[in-house]
Amino acid sequence: MMKNKKYGEYGGQYVAESLMNTLKELETAYGEAIADPKFIEEYQYYLKEYVGRETPLYYAAKLSEKYGTKIYLKREDLNHTGAHKINNVIGQILLAKRMGKKKVIAETGAGQHGVATATGAALFGMECTVYMGEEDMERQALNVFRMEMLGAKVECVKTGSRTLKDATNEAIRTWAKTAEDTFYIIGSAVGPHPYPEMVKEFQRVISVEAKKQILEKEGRLPDCVIACVGGGSNSIGMFAEFIEEKDVELIGVEAAGFGIETGKHASAFAVGKPGVLHGMRSYLLQDEDGNVQIASSISAGLDYPGVGPEHAYLHDTGRATYVPITDDEAMEALLELCKVEGIIPAIESAHALAYAFKKAKTMTKDQIMIVNLSGRGDKDVHTIADYFKDRGYN
Amino acid sequence: MSQTENRIEKRFAELQAEGKKAFITYMTAGLPDMETTKALIRAQEEAGTDIIEVGVPFSDPTADGPVIQDASYRSICNGTNLKKIFQAIEEIRVDCGIPIVFMMYYNTIMYYGIEAFAAKCAQVGIDGLIVPDLPKEEQDELQEALDQTENAPILIQLVSPVSGDRIPMILENARGFVYCVSSMGVTGQAADFHKNVRAYLENVKKISKIPVMMGFGIRTSADVEQLKDIIDGCIVGSHFIQLMEQHQYDLEVAKNYIRTFKKELNEA
Repeated sequence: MMKNKKYGEYGGQYVAESLMNTLKELETAYGEAIADPKFIEEYQYYLKEYVGRETPLYYAAKLSEKYGTKIYLKREDLNHTGAHKINNVIGQILLAKRMGKKKVIAETGAGQHGVATATGAALFGMECTVYMGEEDMERQALNVFRMEMLGAKVECVKTGSRTLKDATNEAIRTWAKTAEDTFYIIGSAVGPHPYPEMVKEFQRVISVEAKKQILEKEGRLPDCVIACVGGGSNSIGMFAEFIEEKDVELIGVEAAGFGIETGKHASAFAVGKPGVLHGMRSYLLQDEDGNVQIASSISAGLDYPGVGPEHAYLHDTGRATYVPITDDEAMEALLELCKVEGIIPAIESAHALAYAFKKAKTMTKDQIMIVNLSGRGDKDVHTIADYFKDRGYN
Repeated sequence: MSQTENRIEKRFAELQAEGKKAFITYMTAGLPDMETTKALIRAQEEAGTDIIEVGVPFSDPTADGPVIQDASYRSICNGTNLKKIFQAIEEIRVDCGIPIVFMMYYNTIMYYGIEAFAAKCAQVGIDGLIVPDLPKEEQDELQEALDQTENAPILIQLVSPVSGDRIPMILENARGFVYCVSSMGVTGQAADFHKNVRAYLENVKKISKIPVMMGFGIRTSADVEQLKDIIDGCIVGSHFIQLMEQHQYDLEVAKNYIRTFKKELNEA
């Protein structure tokens, strides 16, 4: 499926010339690492002993009964640091170590990737700087504290929309300056090749486990898998093992913010058209002058105007479907999971749940869906409390 | 495709005949407004700038440092866009013959439509393109459109201090001039050139069949004094913008700066 570093017309390496040799070096190192059983063994060791994998595939009995279909939750929220982001960080940081790099940098939106990177850097004794938009630092203050406790430096990005997009710009600029001794750990399935591929491989564990677990529990593959999509790392990890299983429907859920019609959303597939940002060609929210539009979502982790290039390809080929969910729909689903199953999900993951509940109504009681619960909601308690302050929790 | 002589190539041929070095300035279009941009292009032509780089502002300029980021942001807020810039260039082209190069990001070209963009550039008289997020490997589709357009601009090639063995490949069919990025990272890092800048420029000069221009972080001719024997000229961007901002786009300040720089650059 990958040809000339592209997924169809998407992906590629749209970066400054000064980064081209860095990407080539990375491609080579990654190719060697992923083929080296010792590297894989080390990666798996840390996933098991440090991250706490495998994560359960939990049969949500009460939700299943309520919605009349079998709903399984892949519990990525139970990972160390509270989300799927750590899977990829362990992989990339082991690669950085193997390449002899001493410093790592990362961008972060919700702060989960930043926390995961700060965690990995502490574990492997690397100097760590995380770029985070000023607005996100306010929304996700708890994660800023966590990163600082873990010894990382959090660099406040005040340019542009002061969110993930701008934090990524700043990380790219710093990387271009310091690539000789610094490894850039990208957290989503975005960026120039080989990042989208690398992030997919390091998140593949989600669907490797989920596939094995569902076969054990149900003796067959699910009818559909559902995951939220910002840049698309948890979703590509959840899709990876099912892409070739043509009977499994793949559904990515984008943030519709206040609603697609308001223009205040983060749904690249709903209205975006192909463009180039952050080293890749993919669907992108743009204004009438071809400038990148500011995304908007209650969830900092989905607040990204683009989407990973493989998702763009899966979208165009029709292999996966992408749907929008508004802030209100996500928050309602979030509260429902709290009350019905006793799980506080991340607001990002609540988007996947909200669509899952809609989808469930079209399914029969013997059908099976897997929803990726990509993270836990601890980081979001302030946002959740604010949202329900006037509405109440009932 | 048939071509009339490209203004950049013509200018370099003249400079070569005179034994002189080239001086290029960069300005973000639309600051403080489009009328000033046009006046500033004319003033620079009068003062002797050889080529003008006109920055088409983009929301996410990842190859640029704080000065050009800020300039781009303000220009976009002023309502500057590619259509208005085309219009401004078309208006001054009536009697202004200075070579003009667009410095812009690839998304702006894609959004406009690659073929339409090539045709419009040819029509209004854009002579070159610098697209910092379009490395050689990604250029085919734009180059093809340019090749099929009469009087299309030249796609200027950039090389960096770490391009190393990529340089011959990058320069194989290069035209106009080669843009040597003097440091790692972004524009406007105050003469903080790469540690091996001399060896790097010598290597490019040895390989290149076209003029070698140095840019990124240059403020005065003193910054390049030690490298003058290698390069065919230099490019000033962030510093020129700062100068204009400090002096409220005073055209006399621009002219004096350019005259001084050019004179010093061409002194033995």
